[in-house]
Amino acid sequence: MGVFEWLRLIAGSVFLLIGLVIFFTEIFGVFHFRYVLNRMHATAMGDTLGISSCMIGLMIFSGWNYTTLKLLLIVVFLWLASPVSSHVLARLEVATNDNLEAHCTVYPELKTLENELAAVKLEGSATQQNHFADDVISTGGDTK
Amino acid sequence: MLYHNLYITILVILAVMLFPCLIRAVKGPRIADRLVSVNMMGTMVMVMIAILALMLDEGYLVDICLIYAMISFLSVVVLSKVYIGIYEEKRHKAEHPEEDTETEGGMSDGSF
Repeated sequence: MGVFEWLRLIAGSVFLLIGLVIFFTEIFGVFHFRYVLNRMHATAMGDTLGISSCMIGLMIFSGWNYTTLKLLLIVVFLWLASPVSSHVLARLEVATNDNLEAHCTVYPELKTLENELAAVKLEGSATQQNHFADDVISTGGDTK
Repeated sequence: MLYHNLYITILVILAVMLFPCLIRAVKGPRIADRLVSVNMMGTMVMVMIAILALMLDEGYLVDICLIYAMISFLSVVVLSKVYIGIYEEKRHKAEHPEEDTETEGGMSDGSF
């Protein structure tokens, strides 16, 4: 093996090792924290940073071919998908927990704001047909 | 041979790391705990499939890894939405117990 081969092996191994350490940190965080919204913080890191450093190590091992491109595609997809799934899980937890105040601070201003928004939404759905018709008419006038 | 041993070592470490995630998925007090740990297991299995693709020199396994990522994301989103819907229905039924449940549709008992 030449010098380049050794360099490739060492670089890829270092990236894979970083990925494994981040996965270990993820598991440690999941068992260390006491509540789901804290645990989510640890797991979201592993979903993006851990898998991307593992995939960078595997790309260095793989060289220039289509497998590298597909590995890059997985990383890009997870960068887009992981925050969305974390957000949906946090909404699930907040929507289904009855005593959320026991675990974290819920600001009363935000709660009143949410109630006002819900009231506005209810009114809007009752008179949605009219608003929609008005919008169509006004945009039609603008385009002319 | 050196690469093969390296891949085997990393696969064994990842397989050992899967067990704590499974314990958290069984123990988790709330349903969001279980979904979070299943999502974490999916990420580790993705890395394992990608390592297997390089170890066996089969490029198409990376496609399977991509599809696994998509299905894992979809399952988390769909399960969250379904559980929020079941919870809202239960709360609505607890607040208005006198209403006729026949008008709400077939899935109103939340038993699926």
